[in-house]
Amino acid sequence: MLNIKNLKVSVENKLILNDLNLKINPGEVHAIMGPNGSGKSTLANVLSGKKGYEIQGEILFDELNINDISVEERAQKGIFLAFQYPVEIPGVNTNVFLRTSLNSIRKSKGEKELDTLTFLKLIKEKAKELGIDEKFLSRQLNVGFSGGEKKKNEILQMKLLQPKLSILDETDSGLDIDALKIVADGVNSYKKKDNAFLIITHYQRLLDYIKPDFIHVLSKGKIVKTGSAELALELEKSGYKNL
Amino acid sequence: MIENYNFNIDKIPNLSQEEKSIRKKNLDIFFQSGFPNKKLEDWKFTDLNSLISKNFQKLTNIEKFNIDKKLELLNNFQHNYVYLINGKMNSYNFNYEEKNKIIIDNFNNSNRNVNKPLNSLNFLNDALAIDGFYLEIKENYKLKKPLIIYNFFSNNLKDVIISNKNSIKINKGSSVDLIEYSLDDSNNCFIKNTNEQINLDEGSNLNYFVLQGSKSNNFFYKYIKSKLKKNSNFNNYILTSGLKFNKIEFDIELNDDNSNCEIYSALSLTENAHQEIKTLIAHNSPYCRSYQVIKSVLNDQSKGVYQGKIYVKNQAQKTNAYQLSKTLILNDKSEFNAKPELEIYADDVKCSHGSTSGSIDENSIYYLMTRGISEIDAKKLLIKGFLADFLEKVKNQEIKMLFEENLERQVNGS
Repeated sequence: MLNIKNLKVSVENKLILNDLNLKINPGEVHAIMGPNGSGKSTLANVLSGKKGYEIQGEILFDELNINDISVEERAQKGIFLAFQYPVEIPGVNTNVFLRTSLNSIRKSKGEKELDTLTFLKLIKEKAKELGIDEKFLSRQLNVGFSGGEKKKNEILQMKLLQPKLSILDETDSGLDIDALKIVADGVNSYKKKDNAFLIITHYQRLLDYIKPDFIHVLSKGKIVKTGSAELALELEKSGYKNL
Repeated sequence: MIENYNFNIDKIPNLSQEEKSIRKKNLDIFFQSGFPNKKLEDWKFTDLNSLISKNFQKLTNIEKFNIDKKLELLNNFQHNYVYLINGKMNSYNFNYEEKNKIIIDNFNNSNRNVNKPLNSLNFLNDALAIDGFYLEIKENYKLKKPLIIYNFFSNNLKDVIISNKNSIKINKGSSVDLIEYSLDDSNNCFIKNTNEQINLDEGSNLNYFVLQGSKSNNFFYKYIKSKLKKNSNFNNYILTSGLKFNKIEFDIELNDDNSNCEIYSALSLTENAHQEIKTLIAHNSPYCRSYQVIKSVLNDQSKGVYQGKIYVKNQAQKTNAYQLSKTLILNDKSEFNAKPELEIYADDVKCSHGSTSGSIDENSIYYLMTRGISEIDAKKLLIKGFLADFLEKVKNQEIKMLFEENLERQVNGS
């Protein structure tokens, strides 16, 4: 599904990702761990198409080179990024945003756009699954939401938009244990044989709830070690220093 | 330039000799200074004189127009209406209301109080005004449906100035939702100079919405003098995008305890539009509250101006006054000027003001795009959001929807 080949990314001539290779197949859950400044969030932003990076190498998504494809087209093709810090947008109603988003994606696939009533029925169902109070949906997007509520809102969007590849950028940061469980349950319930996850995290904590198939350690812009779920426990004990 | 103005008081019908001579005196005062220019502090960001010189070769006051017009009314929106054509009341309809609760009449100088003139446009209005409306809501009556004041301008207006006066009186304990809705059918240039007085009696409420139903290339000036009594509320919501030139000047007196005034404006300006909101809110009594939020989105070479003054008299303790102006600048050639002013003589008050301007937040655009929304749609959504957050304050759901539709149209540039 995702095949990253020899990816080099720099910002203002500073090399951040250096010759990164990563392959993710449908149905797999990959976790990327690594110390601060290792390039984890840059990888997430580059995959979603954020501007401002100089990029060499290839990013193939479903066999298609997406290097020059815009942010919204990548989203329409099925790449989803759950933000570490979801943006607060005053004046934009959460429901209106969610419907605009879903309909943009449906439209790009040639599917019929959902009318307000059908949409509301759908979103209420999804919100209920995640234990999100309906009232949140009529509030301004992320404005005044707690850290946990913002992250739950990200997972709600993921479940609504049904992406092929979900990238979770430190979704566990700032979550208490209850919110963490809800987020993890959201991810686990969306796990299917034809979609995949890339979970970026600092700590092994989230991986107690979401079991990855592979763990990669990112250091100085490179994957320096790949292993199974047990690698997380090892790292928790010995830290990143030995790598 | 002055020689190109042909303002003729003798052609205004039904004036007594005495009225004529008062009007002529007012006209003389106008001619001493002409249209306001940027040398005047109140007009420093809006040089009306030079704008008028550029856009008018000649100018005359309005003659009688015989308009045989089928009224265009808003569909799917139950309302009462007063229909003005070229500033003159053409018809009205209060079918939704109880009888004898509402007085509606042509405005007539001889039997109504008029505002004291402050600037040359006010003097010109006193000299030339014909018609307008007088509206009075009797005690303890809440209108069942909103009242729309239609302001229609016909396509035969050319090089004229329309001057009119309106007066609104809401008696004790009464409430009305009033929408001023302008429709401009004209192809040529005109100026409209309106002088409006609004008196709110004890415990009365006026929600005043100003909406623009069509684009207009014309010049609008409106001076509003408003006096509030105890526990009364005067709330203004201004959505006049699409006007080439517009200046609204509020002069509001909070004259009794617990009176409250709010002004929200949300403007999206394009091309060379120039709009100004100027306010003077006088807190003359304790425990009054005023709240102003001015939002502007500036495209192309447009210009927005906000001059907001809060005056707090020495006995007006426990005053709560707030003003904020926020602007999105989308083009380097556009311009916004804000001049906040606080003049406070009481010592136990809460007064604050703020002003920000900037461009659309790139991170917000990125966030929306990662959700499959195109850059153009993301920007529109953010602009609408920026302008629309005052809609939460609008309690009447139907009016709120009308505003949403209007805003949608304006942000989409039509």
